[in-house]
Amino acid sequence: MSRTNIIALLIFGAILGYFLSFGPSTTQKFKAGVYQLLAPFLTGGSGIKKQITSVRTGLKSLDQLERENSSLQVENRELRATNQGLRDAENEVNRLRHALNYRERSVFKLIAAEIVARDSSTWWRTATINRGRRDGIEIDMPVATDEGLVGKITTVSESVSVALLVSDENCRVAAKVEGSREQGIVSGERVTTGLTPLLNLNFLSKQADLKPGQKVYTSGVGGVFPSGLLIGSVKTFRVRELDGQAQVTPAVDLSHLEDVFVVTGRK
Amino acid sequence: MIFFIVLLLLVLVAQIAEFFIPALPWLYNAHVYIVPVIVFYGAMALPFPLMLALALYAGVLLDAVTVQVIAGKVEISAGSSILIYGVLAGVMHGLRPLFARGRWEVHCILSGVFTSVIVLAQYLMITFRRGSLVFTREIGWQIAGPGLLAMAMAPILFWFLQWIGRMSGYSYQPERGRLE
Repeated sequence: MSRTNIIALLIFGAILGYFLSFGPSTTQKFKAGVYQLLAPFLTGGSGIKKQITSVRTGLKSLDQLERENSSLQVENRELRATNQGLRDAENEVNRLRHALNYRERSVFKLIAAEIVARDSSTWWRTATINRGRRDGIEIDMPVATDEGLVGKITTVSESVSVALLVSDENCRVAAKVEGSREQGIVSGERVTTGLTPLLNLNFLSKQADLKPGQKVYTSGVGGVFPSGLLIGSVKTFRVRELDGQAQVTPAVDLSHLEDVFVVTGRK
Repeated sequence: MIFFIVLLLLVLVAQIAEFFIPALPWLYNAHVYIVPVIVFYGAMALPFPLMLALALYAGVLLDAVTVQVIAGKVEISAGSSILIYGVLAGVMHGLRPLFARGRWEVHCILSGVFTSVIVLAQYLMITFRRGSLVFTREIGWQIAGPGLLAMAMAPILFWFLQWIGRMSGYSYQPERGRLE
């Protein structure tokens, strides 16, 4: 091995050692720093992706129209395409109005945010939002929509933040079940195969006997999540050797999230 | 040197693109990883010091994406991706003479295998941290899937990178100390 290669290997080893010596707070700062550098690309890329999706949706509806209405004239198709565009705009207005209404009637103080990127790794369920430290976002703040709990903030940079979704195995939420005195811990599964991941509500009593459809809310125990946020509804219940476990369908469709709110406290 | 800078830029672009490529539901939600293929190409095409620099750069980016600090605990420590990339790129670099002779088959297959090794290594690390070893068919596919996709992408990406190398006047001959 040449001298240059040995020096390169030593420098590589030294930098590697430096990174491996990072503690939790340094790791947080490192991650936040890199995300801050990537922030313009992530927000820009999100806009481009939306435009591409919009064009693709437009083409698809034109295609469907052609199949269903083969006798229609070109002019008619153009009018329908225009209508489609207007409907998209109307839907967006409705969605934003809905979100705004939720913010006004909610008992929580909320910061509206948009999801700009989804998890790019296999083993973690995360989403990047376009709000950061300068908007008042802090680590461990809960993230929700008008439908229920989404997750919590784990990384904050100046202009973007990373939220760990409730479907991640590491996102543990103290929960209570409506109509019972049962309390437990909700967490996601390590691997999800379907589009809608299921959550596990663990540490219930064996006598819980929960029924499908019962609502599961945050209990407020632990201090991260305020009480009363809807997590989901019970799908199944089973008794294990030491405790009872319920499978919970999340209230929020985590695969199609666009707008979320970061909960900063109670009003 | 120009080719090396181009590779750095491509790694950054690929890392950002991975944020916007959804998981594939028909392959058990396997993710598409482009960066490893570019890094492994760089490992074969670049001299040893630049190969290490590329592995370091890609490792830092992957670390930033994968490290999670939850409740004051680090799940996968920063530096682990740098180490994985460094070792795998080093192995790939050892096959450089074969690549210089224009034999790409082994490298395309190994790019896929090594991509799966990265995902497997991450899985083993989180399994060690979380304390329960679960291995299902879905997990198997989420590890093997990215490798198969990388293997399928590798010939096209290698051809593209080879073309960029030619355009930037880069010499692929494994001559000691020659950078471009």
